[in-house]
Amino acid sequence: MEYCVFTTALVVYCVSTAVFAVSMLVKRVVLAKLAVAALGFAVLVHTVFILWHWAGSGISPVVNIYEALSFVAWAVSGSYLVFQAITKTRVLGAFVSPPVLLLMIVASAGIAGPDEIDRSLETYWVTVHVIFTLTGTAFFALACCAALMYLVQDRLIRKRKISDFSRLLPSLGDLDKISHVSVVWGFLLLTVGIVSGSLWARTAWGDHLLWDAKQVATLAAWVLCALLLHQRLAIGWKGKRAAYLSIGAFIILLFSFVGVNMFFPTVHRF
Amino acid sequence: MNIVLLGMNHKSAPLELRERLTIACGEEQQTVDHVKSLPQVKEALYLATCNRVEVLAAVDNPDRAMDQLKDFIVTHGNLPLDDMEACIYRYRDDEAVRHLFRVAASLDSMVMGEPQILGQVKDAYRASVERKATGVLLNRLLHHAFRAAKRVRTETAISSNAVSVGYTAVTLAKKIMGGLAGKTVLIVGAGEMAELVTRHLVKNGVESIIVANRTVENARSLAESFDGQVVGFESLPGAVGEADIIITSTGASGYVIDRGMITAALRRRRNRLLFMIDIAVPRDIDPVAAAMDNVYLYNIDDLQAVVDENLKTRHVEAEQAGRIIDEEVENFERWRHSLAVVPAIVDLREKVESITRREFDRCGGWLDALGEEDRQNVEILVNGIINKILHEPVTGLKEVCEDGGAEEYVAALRRLFGLEDDFRR
Repeated sequence: MEYCVFTTALVVYCVSTAVFAVSMLVKRVVLAKLAVAALGFAVLVHTVFILWHWAGSGISPVVNIYEALSFVAWAVSGSYLVFQAITKTRVLGAFVSPPVLLLMIVASAGIAGPDEIDRSLETYWVTVHVIFTLTGTAFFALACCAALMYLVQDRLIRKRKISDFSRLLPSLGDLDKISHVSVVWGFLLLTVGIVSGSLWARTAWGDHLLWDAKQVATLAAWVLCALLLHQRLAIGWKGKRAAYLSIGAFIILLFSFVGVNMFFPTVHRF
Repeated sequence: MNIVLLGMNHKSAPLELRERLTIACGEEQQTVDHVKSLPQVKEALYLATCNRVEVLAAVDNPDRAMDQLKDFIVTHGNLPLDDMEACIYRYRDDEAVRHLFRVAASLDSMVMGEPQILGQVKDAYRASVERKATGVLLNRLLHHAFRAAKRVRTETAISSNAVSVGYTAVTLAKKIMGGLAGKTVLIVGAGEMAELVTRHLVKNGVESIIVANRTVENARSLAESFDGQVVGFESLPGAVGEADIIITSTGASGYVIDRGMITAALRRRRNRLLFMIDIAVPRDIDPVAAAMDNVYLYNIDDLQAVVDENLKTRHVEAEQAGRIIDEEVENFERWRHSLAVVPAIVDLREKVESITRREFDRCGGWLDALGEEDRQNVEILVNGIINKILHEPVTGLKEVCEDGGAEEYVAALRRLFGLEDDFRR
């Protein structure tokens, strides 16, 4: 029954993505508003699913890769909606919704499967670790979207093509701000995620750092992001360079999130 | 009643003719009174802007009314008839409605999509209302026109792209910085174009202005008009570091702002975005700036190219707007046609009521014998039957007439129920 709710959320995400795409093609604000509303509804339904699932399992809403994907999709759309409420950049949604939908589709492949859970993972530390790391990743995804839009807009303005597509995109100043704020939040959440994970690793395996591939990749992204924030605050790194760095940080995180398990042995289930 | 519209605009008549007419017509309100006093005219509206002079009227006999209105224009403008004939366009009914809607939606303007015309139409309407020159038909028509114009503005991109150099600069600045509040503009060289662009920027929220000129004295009046400060060329590097938007228009033969100056400025402003507009020929800003990060450089040709491109998109959007206008014209016409049956329906109801009254009077004797309650019940019964019988013909008639072709049905109705002769007698 709860998977029915999940499917409903998936369908509404799909509708929202489609409406976003159409609104970009025909350039009508009404449609974009509709798409945002649909996305809001999808997040609501999705929230119901996550809470329900949590109540059902009793430990954590996120115990396998599929649930993790679904959780990231939820966090990305949720944080986008918060930005949307503050900055009214509906067009960001058109960039955010397709990857969200993709995450949901992949998640739907296995989310209804059996959860066999390792007893050692039944602790609040793991729940905190997982939720914070994933939400942090979601913010980086958002920062990456805004950074991509920044690069597109920058290119359009430089190529003197400001009438058509550029009209839909937010200003460079706003995009830079959105990307920066997302990176700051992502960085904070990721820090909490990493610290809680390493504390728990200490109690479970006796060491903070196991040189596990996932740990290394995540730390690399964290360092890159720390560098970005430092440069920005110290010497005012803005614009394109900041955009490239935040995209880079997200790609490493993404690799760490889904890529590592395919190619390297790791203690992380996901 | 019919709707007619006569007028001339920038396409149909040369400027001198429009000028003479506008001047001759003078005060809008007088003209409205004058048009209204013509025998055929029931309602009137007079619209005069720098690009058009138009008279819109609700009339009884459209052919005669159009002749009268044309005579009015010709005599009023004191113009030779031959000149006029060719320049005046005349529309009636749905054509007039469509023309008015196009005018209000700025599809008939010289610069298509310019926003002022809607305000001018509204003013003309207000003037007409004040002279009590409008009635059911024009009130409804004008409100429809406002709605059509609003739909065109919100549902198409017809007026969303800048079509002047000044406004393009503002759009670009907003695209780059976001809001313009609290931003600083630096004007280098006191040219007219630079002043125009700055005026646009100030209107859109830019707060502080710096004018840099080789001779400080010459720039003073320009700076004062913006409440800005004046600096000489020797303090240009500092000023470049403070500005968010730089507009250059000096007559200098070399670069006034070179690469080094920009690099230093960027460092000072910690890479905050910098938008530079070079209006000067030969150029004032080293073109390598265009390739620098966080710097956006446009010259006058670039701005003009954007304007041209935008004008092209407006014409594409105009097609979409045309479809909206068609829809709205159809809506309005449906209403106008349904108006034609209203008098017939009123007559029909009155006739039926008078029959009922007469019949009640005739049988007064036995009705009086009934008790109060029974008498009321009889009345309710009779009225109920009448309403039931009339309901279908009346609604059917309204429906038929919405699609046009009311006349035949109305004539048939009048004939069948004997409404032609004065039944009230």
